[in-house]
Amino acid sequence: MQISYKLQDRFDFAIFIPTIILIIFGLLAIFSSTYSHPTAHGNFQKQVFFVVVSIIAFLITFSLPQRTFNVFAIGIYFASLFFLVAVLIAGKTIFGAKAWFGIGGFGFQPSEFAKLGTILMLASWLTYKNRDINNLKDIGVAFMIGFAPIMLIMLEPDTGTSIVFSIITVAIIFWSGISLFGMFVVISPLIVVLASMLGTIAFIIALLLVVAALFFFKKDIFNCVVVFVINLSSGFFFDYIYKVLKPHQQKRILTFLDPTSDPLGSGYNALQAKVAIGSGGILGKGYLHGNQTQLRFIPAQWTDFIYCVIGEEFGFIGSIIVITCFFIIFIRLLKLSSNAKDQFSVLVIIGVLTLLFSHFAINVGMNLGITPVIGLPLPFLSYGGSSLLVNMILIGIVLNIYKNRKLHT
Amino acid sequence: MNDSLFGSPIRRRIVYFIVISFFSLCVLQLFNMQIIQQPRYSEKSAENSVKPIYQMAPRGVFYDRFHRILVGNKPSFTLRITPSEYDKKLTPYIEAILGASPGYIDKILKQNELYSKFLPRRIAKDVSYKVIAWYEENMSKLPGVDYVMETRRDYSFGVMGSHMFGYSKEIPMDIFQQRKDEYSIGDEIGFNGIEKSYEDMLRGNKGTRYVLVDAKQKTIGPYKNGTEDQNTVKGDDLTLTIDKDAQQVAEEAFKDKRGAVVALDPANGEILAFLSAPQYDLNDFAKVTSTEIWNQLNNDEERPMFNRATMSYYSPGSTFKMVSAIAALEDGIIDTTFKVNCNGGFQFGDHYFKCLGHHGPINVIHAIEHSCNTFFYQLILKNGLDRWSLYANKFGFGKKSGLDIGEETAGILPSTQYYDKVYGKGKWTKGFLVSLGIGQGELNVTPMQLAEYIGLIANYGKTAKPHFLKDYQDIKTSKLVNVKPQYYDIGISRNTFDIVRKALYLVVNASGTAGNIRSQELQIAGKTGTAQNTQGKEHSVFIGFAPYNNPKIAIAVIVENAGHGNVIAAPIARDIIKAYLQKDKKNDPKILAGFNSTLSGKLNAN
Repeated sequence: MQISYKLQDRFDFAIFIPTIILIIFGLLAIFSSTYSHPTAHGNFQKQVFFVVVSIIAFLITFSLPQRTFNVFAIGIYFASLFFLVAVLIAGKTIFGAKAWFGIGGFGFQPSEFAKLGTILMLASWLTYKNRDINNLKDIGVAFMIGFAPIMLIMLEPDTGTSIVFSIITVAIIFWSGISLFGMFVVISPLIVVLASMLGTIAFIIALLLVVAALFFFKKDIFNCVVVFVINLSSGFFFDYIYKVLKPHQQKRILTFLDPTSDPLGSGYNALQAKVAIGSGGILGKGYLHGNQTQLRFIPAQWTDFIYCVIGEEFGFIGSIIVITCFFIIFIRLLKLSSNAKDQFSVLVIIGVLTLLFSHFAINVGMNLGITPVIGLPLPFLSYGGSSLLVNMILIGIVLNIYKNRKLHT
Repeated sequence: MNDSLFGSPIRRRIVYFIVISFFSLCVLQLFNMQIIQQPRYSEKSAENSVKPIYQMAPRGVFYDRFHRILVGNKPSFTLRITPSEYDKKLTPYIEAILGASPGYIDKILKQNELYSKFLPRRIAKDVSYKVIAWYEENMSKLPGVDYVMETRRDYSFGVMGSHMFGYSKEIPMDIFQQRKDEYSIGDEIGFNGIEKSYEDMLRGNKGTRYVLVDAKQKTIGPYKNGTEDQNTVKGDDLTLTIDKDAQQVAEEAFKDKRGAVVALDPANGEILAFLSAPQYDLNDFAKVTSTEIWNQLNNDEERPMFNRATMSYYSPGSTFKMVSAIAALEDGIIDTTFKVNCNGGFQFGDHYFKCLGHHGPINVIHAIEHSCNTFFYQLILKNGLDRWSLYANKFGFGKKSGLDIGEETAGILPSTQYYDKVYGKGKWTKGFLVSLGIGQGELNVTPMQLAEYIGLIANYGKTAKPHFLKDYQDIKTSKLVNVKPQYYDIGISRNTFDIVRKALYLVVNASGTAGNIRSQELQIAGKTGTAQNTQGKEHSVFIGFAPYNNPKIAIAVIVENAGHGNVIAAPIARDIIKAYLQKDKKNDPKILAGFNSTLSGKLNAN
């Protein structure tokens, strides 16, 4: 095949330009929400530094030989697990979660790097020769690859990131061609867990639905029993987990189930975020003129509630520009997944898509009051070095895949 | 690997569907929030971050009838505590700097427990600069403590006037419950006297400053650069009918006495001097009134809080004799030729009623002049209770005068119904009447009623309801609004009044009981009285008016436990009359000009 040396052919502007636009919006919003803040006023400069570092990391990733990612997948994955264990022992607690290493004034978040490791590892393992995704053992191993970091992150505890890992794991397994029954085996425990949090009756109904589904699939008795036991025990297991959760996390789950029950706690932030966005109107209140933002009604707004700074100060227009950038990136990633040159690359792109989309959906949904309040940064916009760095590395990998899509190895 | 299912078109479509539908959902929700519901959220956002700070308006000041200031305002610092943020450990330090006794702050906080703990309470008004300087220095260690600049009443203009001026205080909970729309907790409200009656004019409009606050209610800066702020509007200034000179003389005369003075202009009911003695210091109420001061004032045997001028029950004594005379003359029961022979008393049934002299044959004029009891014992029997009672009622006895500060009693005016009610029908005799004839017995009057009565005699039965307010400066329209007196005429003939007035003139200017206050320039006419008093010495009473030919002032003076009317009460009345009628040449020419124009205006009106 002929290699084209046209720039557009080697570099995907359709992903890169929206990404840069989002980063710029993020910098503006971080500046607006922190420049007059007594303790966070240095965050803008730090974020500029992170942007520079991230772009360098992006360029490096983009330039690496493509096979590097597959080769180093196992290494990166186990290094991630190592750091996740280490952070539980020696980490720093910020916002109630033991998720950071302090390095010279900067925080390093192993769970962010675990995203990279897990995506590469899942993609690599599932596309290794002669895998059968519909073999219960292979599903089990794939599931365990995703489950190991999830468990460690839940111990920090960081509910949002655990959810993102679950979604990534399910999505990659789904894309790799699992059968409907396999999908059922993977997803049904999650539904049962959710139901168990809603109460005993919901838990029993969910289990009955699982039994009904098992009849529908007409599998042998061994499979049925195994699947049912998995469901049943995961329900009890998560009920147990819920009980050992810290009160603020239990509260988050309760607020998630009934957002109006706690107007001054976690629901307060959600309400204030809605007020900020709603009061922005069509054109916004003007940059640096959003009173919700400037008067600091939302604590640590430059992290999880960055989107409402844009909603308030840039209005409907600004809000639409931001979600449109994300939309372009998602659609483009889906498009790229269909012309990557191997299945590993496809699964990596799907992993990146799922990662960005789940962050986006949970974060923007929370800001708009359509999903529960779950602490997750908005990719490219929220303040935070680790998240930005990893996201740019992932974009670098995707563009690297794009660059090499026509090459034979 | 299951290649047929890997990234199959159907799975691709599922992912497309999820991404597109979530994107659409976001767009719809943004449209809903930022365009459809934008007004609602904007309102919420504004409420959130904008906090109104109220500023009390200075109350309107009081001037006397010649526009001399009586009650003013002065700036003062008020120290406040907001219980929700306050740390009780600070109490000893604050009490120490205020010089208050231990437990002072606790007591005030207890008194105000009903109110929300987020509202600041006034702990001390009118605190010194020293306290404020101390506060400023230690502000960071004093959470929940702050101070505000307010104005307080300034009573340093030489007139106490405690019972007429009254005081204002923080709105009590019960009144607040009734007037929620007009007042907020912590607002001041006139509580008695003129402060209460003219509250609506005096209070002005609170100012509102809008400030931006953060989520912790900390002030960040002005809202919209202050363009939405409303300035305070000062209350309307009142010109009272009071004459500062006359008032000062009255207050001075009563410094060591108990009693009351009411002086008014008989032509229009304007109160010229008004005093209940002893008085209390209004300054005590301009601060945060402590329980000690309250108890002290309420337990004082002399009852300084009690308004003797309108609330007391005094026997009028001989000053009431003119009621009988007028009733009999007007109804033709007697004329000036009717005489009674006074031998020093009057035998009625088995009781002998004494007179203070042996007046021999005496007619109505001289009976008044010499205050002959014998004459009036018999006259009331001639009149009968009902006639006497009817005429007394015409002169305002047994009913409230309608004075504009309220707080009055109707006194007691015996009548047939009254005795029937108290003693039962047929169980009382005419003997009850005899002492009424000389203003004793169950008859009880207020000094206010006596002043109104003598005013009516002075002005031939025509006057207006007594009142304190002459005019006021409407702040909103900046117009001077005159108060129209409510005139009335009790419909008694000029002839009758001529006879009685002449007698009253003789009391002072011939050989009558008040010859000691005779004055060529003042031309006073009046009547003394000695009011029986079950506890201790009699009260000394004098009612009178001047000048005789063109009355400008009518006055009632009661001095408790001071003996005969002519000795103590009459000279005080004379001094007050003099202060009003003879303005010192050294006075401000403007005041004199004003005084002369009021005088000439009245002459023309007559």
